[in-house]
Amino acid sequence: MRIAANASGLPLWRFLSVYLLMGIVVAVFASRLARLQFVEREEWTLQAEDNRTEEISVPPQRGIIYDRNGYILARNIASYNIVITPAYLPDDPADVERVYRELSALTGMPTGFPLTEESIEQAKLLRACTPGPGIAQWVALGESNAPYDPVQIQCNVGQEIAMIVRERSADWPGVGIQIEPVRDYPTGYLTANLIGFLGPIPANVAEAYRAQGFDPDRDKVGYAGVELAMDEVLIGTPGRRVVEVDVAGQELRNLEPPVPPVPGNNVVLTIDTRLQAAAQAALETEIQSWNNYYGYIRISSGVVIAMNPQTGEILAMAQYPTYENNRLARIIPEYYYRQLEQDPRHPLNNAAISAEYPPGSTFKLSTATGALNEGVVTLTQIIDAPGELLLTERFSPTDPGNVRPFRDWIFDQNPAGFGRIDFLHCIAYSSNVCFYKLGGGYPGEIDNGLEIWRLQQYARSLGYDRRSGIELPGEASGLIPDPTWKRINRGENWSTGDTYIASVGQGYVLATPLQVMLSGATIANDGVLMQPTVIREIRDGQGNVLTLFWNPVAHTVTDRPLEEGSYQISPFVPNVRWDITRDPVIEDFECESGYCTSTGLFKTVEPWVVESVQRGMRMAVTEPLGTLNRDYSFRNYPIAVAGKTGTAEYCDDVALSQNRCSFGNWPTHSWTLAYAPYDTPEIIIIAFMYNGGEGGVVAAPVVRMVMDAYFEIKSIDIAEGAAP
Amino acid sequence: MFRTENWRHFDFWLLGVVVLTMIFGVAMIRSAIAGNETLAELPSRQITWASLGFLVILVVAAIDYRLWGGAVRWMYLAVVLFLLLLYFVGGQRFGAARWIETGLVSIQPTELAKIVVIVSLAYYFARTIDRPRSWRWLLGSLLIAAVVAGFIYIQPNLSNVIVIMVIWAAMAWIAGLEIRQMIVIAILGFVLFVLAFFFFMEPYQQARIYNFLFPDPNASYGATYNVQQALIAIGSGGLAGKGYGHGTQTQLRFMKVRHTDFIFSVIAEEFGFVGALLVIVLLGFIVYRCLRAARLARDPFGVFLAYGVAVLIFFQGAVNIAVNLNLIPVTGLPLPFISYGGSGLLSLMIGVGLVESVVMRHKPLDF
Repeated sequence: MRIAANASGLPLWRFLSVYLLMGIVVAVFASRLARLQFVEREEWTLQAEDNRTEEISVPPQRGIIYDRNGYILARNIASYNIVITPAYLPDDPADVERVYRELSALTGMPTGFPLTEESIEQAKLLRACTPGPGIAQWVALGESNAPYDPVQIQCNVGQEIAMIVRERSADWPGVGIQIEPVRDYPTGYLTANLIGFLGPIPANVAEAYRAQGFDPDRDKVGYAGVELAMDEVLIGTPGRRVVEVDVAGQELRNLEPPVPPVPGNNVVLTIDTRLQAAAQAALETEIQSWNNYYGYIRISSGVVIAMNPQTGEILAMAQYPTYENNRLARIIPEYYYRQLEQDPRHPLNNAAISAEYPPGSTFKLSTATGALNEGVVTLTQIIDAPGELLLTERFSPTDPGNVRPFRDWIFDQNPAGFGRIDFLHCIAYSSNVCFYKLGGGYPGEIDNGLEIWRLQQYARSLGYDRRSGIELPGEASGLIPDPTWKRINRGENWSTGDTYIASVGQGYVLATPLQVMLSGATIANDGVLMQPTVIREIRDGQGNVLTLFWNPVAHTVTDRPLEEGSYQISPFVPNVRWDITRDPVIEDFECESGYCTSTGLFKTVEPWVVESVQRGMRMAVTEPLGTLNRDYSFRNYPIAVAGKTGTAEYCDDVALSQNRCSFGNWPTHSWTLAYAPYDTPEIIIIAFMYNGGEGGVVAAPVVRMVMDAYFEIKSIDIAEGAAP
Repeated sequence: MFRTENWRHFDFWLLGVVVLTMIFGVAMIRSAIAGNETLAELPSRQITWASLGFLVILVVAAIDYRLWGGAVRWMYLAVVLFLLLLYFVGGQRFGAARWIETGLVSIQPTELAKIVVIVSLAYYFARTIDRPRSWRWLLGSLLIAAVVAGFIYIQPNLSNVIVIMVIWAAMAWIAGLEIRQMIVIAILGFVLFVLAFFFFMEPYQQARIYNFLFPDPNASYGATYNVQQALIAIGSGGLAGKGYGHGTQTQLRFMKVRHTDFIFSVIAEEFGFVGALLVIVLLGFIVYRCLRAARLARDPFGVFLAYGVAVLIFFQGAVNIAVNLNLIPVTGLPLPFISYGGSGLLSLMIGVGLVESVVMRHKPLDF
């Protein structure tokens, strides 16, 4: 070719080698392009889509909790946060500094100048809104991540400051107010044990919530009480928006039609806040006056529950001490939470359902029902009830045994005891000696006692030894022991003495205040054990009442009954758990000289037996020596009341350290339960006071005060024309 | 000077494709701005530069390239002084002193220096064409390139140092560089590079090379972010692209320096494989026309001049595209005629003008 011999005389091959090199480069480019744009296109497109799309979860409004009269117990209120969107701040650093200075003057927050690397690093370790870092630090942190995302500068400012910030928005570009919904409990402390509180979604379930569209960094879930039990009902469904964002995180448009959030359902409780307040006041007043009387904190805690025994609706469930759930509403302050958690009185627990105590004499209702139904005793039989009884404690039939004294509670006042009394007076006077005899037998008088196997059956039929299945978290099951239990858990044979003290609700017997109340309610309701409930109805956002069921095993709410034990919670219907006079819930045992064997049959309780126990409870009020026949309890009460007291000896760490766990020296819990009106009971109230002393003296006045309040509220409602 | 008969040989194809490429470039800059207000006036500025460049082509083409031979020493001296001046008064941008702020515009002398190096080397190789290919001959040419490269290095601007050294190597190769010289140079160059890497390079330069050789798979928002975003843009472009102004990577600004270093990715995203290949074809055609001029040139000076400009355009384009395709480490070289940048564009236009000047005068007489 000519080029070889062109003007320069340069050799052609050198040019050609350069062309070749260039050709190779172009070929490499083309193949690389083809690889990226054809072979790998899918992957890159996915990444590009991922870059520009963002899924935004829109928080739903949490449901509101009302009491039975529509009084709000939990709601959402606006909380104001001062935020700065870094991208909208003025361009001129001097302007930015001015904005910070003025904002600092308003809020008292440091401006954060000089802005050093070190100070930013320190702020990085803190949660947004934590006092300490200045405005500049927070903005610097947010700016580097997503300049279009508002950075929280100061949280929960007063409405006035929020308004000032809004008014000045023209002078302060980039500064704004963010409204954050915060749970508010108008009744706070009064209902905290029932309502509970919210907290952040725990890390171990964060993924499950994220899959449902929640934002674990923002959304909250119930941690206790109704807020926890009804969480799935209250929480609602988050909305979802898929938006196009630019590199700075600025939202540009919706890529898909947005799905609006569905607000949570509203829950109406069976609680009457007025009665709850009365119960709380009665409990605290009584505890305080006794503590003042003794001059030291003797009674450390207490519980009051009020229920309609015919329907199972819990009207009040108060406890002392409890906690202020409004203090946990925005964040859970560590020091406060730790203080509550370490308090030996467990204020965070709902003591009415989760604390187990010896029921003491209130347990005699079980022994009485069993003894009468099994023919251990007849109504006409006279039982000798001296102040002290010598009983033989045997661990086996061949054990010669030790003779031990068992005293009646009256012994200290009258060593002669109650003398010769019939069955009904045994209940009315709450004679321990009488019930020892009924429970464990007494040679020559009660040949065959009820014995522990049969006592356990009757106790269970009245609601003991099993969780009630109420719609609240943390319910304890209590304990009605039997010989098998003792052998496994204590490594010891059951002794006759165990039976004696179990007959009066002592020893290994444990029950929650709710269980003790249910035993009284079952008797009061002619042997029908109602399902206790705190839920009256659940309504959706439009006010429609939903039909929903509670599964007490899985603790879930479903739209149809799924498992054995599921019951309807909305709309409210009285749920019968069983009727001991009709449903054969009692296993039949044949007993011979203190030992029983199952016949494999099941039986019911005779209605007259239940009616007799009712009469015994009524006589506790009406008989001159009855345990509830006092001025400060129900002597001459205008409405016919029946009830049972209890003075339960206990021994726990505190008592042990005071060296009080010895015969005749035990500390005692106070119990009293009472229902009214006697013929058609519509209210049953139980009071429990830790280390209160004699039940009829310490707990009974509380029950009396709540009873007064109940009938007063009822008369007000009737006067106002509301349904009673 | 304006002998009309020469314009018959004026390469209108070259001019036409250059203009077409610049128009395409302006359009892509407009898209690449993606609503960024501070960059909004760049397209119109680029149009100004391109128009100025158009005139420059005509003026430079009109001047007989052989006249530059006599002025080579002065031009070279002026550029060296210019670079020195830059060293003392230059404004810093992105950490490097590469600009001289005048009242009106900021000038980047480095771009001009590349053209001057081409002219100087062309003149040197043309004058020494009959000499033996001794080490002295080679070192003479190396000195011309190295002095300018040295001043550019202290800016610091490593990529343009490489451009100048590549131009020198490519021209020396054509001028008859011997194989053994080439081997020695290659070995020396490698040693020098290694030494430079460990002792002279700035940390950011080391980091770029290191990041390219050993990319950290977790560092999607760190050092490899820009390249990664460019690859996403190119790959998601597919065959025909997402359409002008509809590239999500571009318009939502996931890619950085879109209007300069990564404009090739913008094209590949919005016009896909077709658009990217079109750019390569357009630039390839320009390079081809320059090489054609070199082939036609009537004297060695013209051959070296046109060839040098071809190498400059090809190398800059290839490096830029290779960065976009993540074939080599990130450098700051623009895509010729397309990336935003006045000085770079003007220098290339001067180069094209020189090529036109060579091709216009490839025949002594044409009756």
